[in-house]
Amino acid sequence: MIYLDSAATSLYRPPAVERAIVRAMRTLANPGRGGHVPAMRAAETVYACREEAAALFHVPDPSRIVFTMNATHGLNLAIHSLVRPGTKVLISGFEHNAVTRPLHAAGADLKVAGRKLFDPAEMLASWEAALSWAEVAVCTCVSNAFGYVLPIGEIAGLCRNFGVKLIVDASQAAGILTVDYESLQAAFIAMPGHKGLLGPQGTGILLCGEEGVPLMQGGSGAESRLQTMPELLPEHLEAGTLNVCGIAGLLEGIRYVRERGEATILRHEQMLLQRAVSELSGRGLELFTGEEGQSGVLSLRCPWMDCEELASRLSDRGVCVRAGLHCAPLAHESAGTLECGTLRMSFSPFLSAQDVKKACEILVETVEEAKRN
Amino acid sequence: MQYLITFKTLTQAQRAARLLERAGYTLSIRRVPPDLSRSGCGYAITIRKSAYDAVELLKNSGLWTGKLFRREGEEPFREVLP
Repeated sequence: MIYLDSAATSLYRPPAVERAIVRAMRTLANPGRGGHVPAMRAAETVYACREEAAALFHVPDPSRIVFTMNATHGLNLAIHSLVRPGTKVLISGFEHNAVTRPLHAAGADLKVAGRKLFDPAEMLASWEAALSWAEVAVCTCVSNAFGYVLPIGEIAGLCRNFGVKLIVDASQAAGILTVDYESLQAAFIAMPGHKGLLGPQGTGILLCGEEGVPLMQGGSGAESRLQTMPELLPEHLEAGTLNVCGIAGLLEGIRYVRERGEATILRHEQMLLQRAVSELSGRGLELFTGEEGQSGVLSLRCPWMDCEELASRLSDRGVCVRAGLHCAPLAHESAGTLECGTLRMSFSPFLSAQDVKKACEILVETVEEAKRN
Repeated sequence: MQYLITFKTLTQAQRAARLLERAGYTLSIRRVPPDLSRSGCGYAITIRKSAYDAVELLKNSGLWTGKLFRREGEEPFREVLP
């Protein structure tokens, strides 16, 4: 099997991640819910993960690291904190449903700016023109459907200039591109733990530039006599028992990323991307590629074959890709692929060029078979 | 002599503990005894030597959110700061 769906979730992970999860299941209890050894060990593991994440994302205070279930949870928390019915919210044309659905549910007044694929200059010009209207902005670092790397640093700078609070969706960037809390100065930065950070599903992180408004109320292990959540982060936004086993695994995933380095991981994934582009060019396929600003994600279409059918046949032959709209209809609308979707290959730090070459050979054989028939 | 520095949350106690450990203190984190915690379920750092310098360090780092207690032997803790 060749797994090319890391933009959805990592499947290949450092062995230390699995070991840490098993160890946590056997030895760690509930942090903040007791003073006994298993509870305090759990607390130490959770805090170590906060420290590791703080170091990776340049957050001076580890208590600004809030654990969530996933990026969607973090984005909901951030949007719940800043958006009320009628709030004017600017978003890019490449946002995921994890951004657009909570904004619709909150009754936001939405405007979309920047819709040309792989055109950061157009993105910046559109945002500069629209920001005077906005009160809040939400922007992804990387399009999950196309791997388009948006100029998030410049966008954050524009938001500061216009006094607009920014929520960053770092779902496809964390662990692959530099996500710098201090330089972005965003209100919130949300990310999953199970993609580029190589942790297990059910983990996520919200970097909090602001205190936030709790999305859930409940036990926190602190100030139990009070009927409101503790005022201090991270407990302020962390109601209920944390996913300690998942966080133990996430800790090891982040340690791996810090040791190997985001720049090295990005270079590797871009090498795999170039290999795939090279193998698939000249075959009659439509490849969605940018000159430079593209992460390890490649979307494509086959003019004579539906992408879902192609993905299904590839699955039968051991190649795992994702087809359709990738929960990002806005991005597909921007790219002109809303009606048919695309087939997406996404790469991982643990894939080799040989893996990608083999997968591309199978893809080419499959589409050529379909063309003959 | 034992000193107890209380915090509102576990994470604040952990953050303070890291700072003090880096400054050379030997300490442990424990639950706040119920008679010392008005709002319930707090965490504290215990230090077995004078903790006044530790409190200054926490104040200078913006991590002083609680109180300082002291006890000798098995006597009850008595508040000494603020």
